[in-house]
Amino acid sequence: MRLIVSILCALPMVAQPGGQVPDLRGVYQSIPDRMTLPGGLKNVGAPAAIDLLPEAARQTRNVDLKRDPWKICQPVGPFRMMAKEHTKIELVQVSAMIVMLFEDLSHGMMRNIYLKRGHPARLEETWLGDSVGRWEGDTLVVDTVGFNDKTWLNEEGAQHSDALHLTERIHPVLRGQYLQYRMTAVDPRVLAKPYSYTRYYRRLDTEVMDDVCQDEP
Amino acid sequence: MRNVLSPTLVVSLGFGLASVLAQAQAPPDWTGYYTLAPNRELAPAGLKQDAPGEQLNDLIIPHLQPWAKARMEATDGIADDTGQVCLPDGIFRYPSMAGRFVWLQEPGRIIMAFGNINTAGVRRIYLDRPHPKNPIPSWNGHSVGRWEGDTLIVDTVGFNDKSWLFGGMEPHTEEAHLMERARRVANGAFVELNITVEDRHALNSPYSYNRYYKKQPDGAEMPEDVCAEDPDTWKQFRNEALKKQQSRLRQLK
Repeated sequence: MRLIVSILCALPMVAQPGGQVPDLRGVYQSIPDRMTLPGGLKNVGAPAAIDLLPEAARQTRNVDLKRDPWKICQPVGPFRMMAKEHTKIELVQVSAMIVMLFEDLSHGMMRNIYLKRGHPARLEETWLGDSVGRWEGDTLVVDTVGFNDKTWLNEEGAQHSDALHLTERIHPVLRGQYLQYRMTAVDPRVLAKPYSYTRYYRRLDTEVMDDVCQDEP
Repeated sequence: MRNVLSPTLVVSLGFGLASVLAQAQAPPDWTGYYTLAPNRELAPAGLKQDAPGEQLNDLIIPHLQPWAKARMEATDGIADDTGQVCLPDGIFRYPSMAGRFVWLQEPGRIIMAFGNINTAGVRRIYLDRPHPKNPIPSWNGHSVGRWEGDTLIVDTVGFNDKSWLFGGMEPHTEEAHLMERARRVANGAFVELNITVEDRHALNSPYSYNRYYKKQPDGAEMPEDVCAEDPDTWKQFRNEALKKQQSRLRQLK
C-alpha cells in the first residue's frame, strides 16, 4: 500500500496550490490592425496616438527622423516593437524567468522577465530596461523601468525620459490560440497622460528563423 | 484488495510507474548563464581549452582546401569581417571566442541565447524532430539534438556561406556540418563542448577541439549588449568596408 501511495504522489501534479498559471511557451505573431477575431477582439491604439506634453511635442518637431533607431539597426524598445504588425516573438519559460525572443533580433533583442526578484535598488539604464513579472490569475503582468533615453516612443520621433515606466498585461484568449497583450506607458516628463494600446498575438506552429537587420549604409 | 487492483487502477499505476521512470531518466537540466572558462580555472581539474583565443586559426588552417586558403588570404580584415558591421559572426566563431550564453531548457528543445546577441543570435536545438529536408540556409544553421545518457549530441546543417569558421576568415560553404557533444565534467563545474566541423567543399578533413564553459551562480544575469550602440562608429566601419569591397571589385575588372 505504501508503494501505491508513493507512486500516486509521484504522478505529475495537475492542480498546483494557488491555481495553475498558463503555459505561454510558444511562437506568436501580432495580428494586423484590420483583423477582427471571434468575439470582436481587435487591436486598439497605436504609439502614434500618444499625447505629449508641450515641451516634448516641441522637441519632437526638431528630431532628425534619419536617426530613427529603426533605420539604423538599433533596438526600438518594447513600446514600439510590441505594437508593430507581424512582430514575431517566442516565449520561453524556465523556472526563474520568462524570456521573450524576437525574430527581428536587431530591433527587438531578447527580453528577460524575472519572476523571482524585484527591480534592483540601483538600476543601470539599458535599451530594454529591467523587467520583472508576476502572475495575476492567468495574466502575466510585466513591469519595466530603467530605460536609457535612446529609444523613441513612435516613428515621429517622440522621445521619452529615463522615468519611462511600462506595464504589460499578457493573457491567453480563444483557447490559448491568441495572447491578449495590453501595454501601458507612463512618463510624467513626456506624456500628458498614461497611454495604453492592445494587441493580439496569434500562436504559430513554426520555427523562428535568423532575421538580420539589412540596413542601408 | 481485489477491488483496489481493478483494471483502471492497474492502468493508472502503470502510467504512474512510467512517469516515475521517465523522471528517473529525465535529461539533466542545464538552464543557466554560462561564460567561457579561463584556463587558470580549468587547470586544477586537469582540463584546458584546446587552441584558445586566436590559436584556433592555427588549428583550422591546415585543414583548408587550396581554394579556401586562397580565399582566406584574399580577405580584408575590415571589409569582410561580418561581426565588425553588426552582422552575425555565426556559431563557428562566437561560442569559441567570446562564449557568453544563456542556456534555456524546455521539453523538446534547448535554446542558447548568446551574449552579443546581434552578432551571435539565438540558437535553437530541437530534440523532437529531424532536420528539414531542405533547410533554408541561415547564419546559425538548423540544429537537432538528442541525449545519450548525460551527453547531449547536437547536429547542425543548413548554414549560409556568409560567415567564417574563425577570426582568420577561413571560409566554409553551405555544406558545412557542425557536430557537437556536450556534457558536464569536473563534478558538474564545467560544460565540455566537443566540437567537430566538416565541410567537403572547403576542408580536406574535419577538425575537432574542446571548449569549456562555466556556469555562473544562480541569479547571475547576462547583461544587455547592443552591437549598433554607436551608429556613427558603426556606419563608419560599414562605409569603409564597402569602399574596400568596391575598390577590390574595380581591381578585378
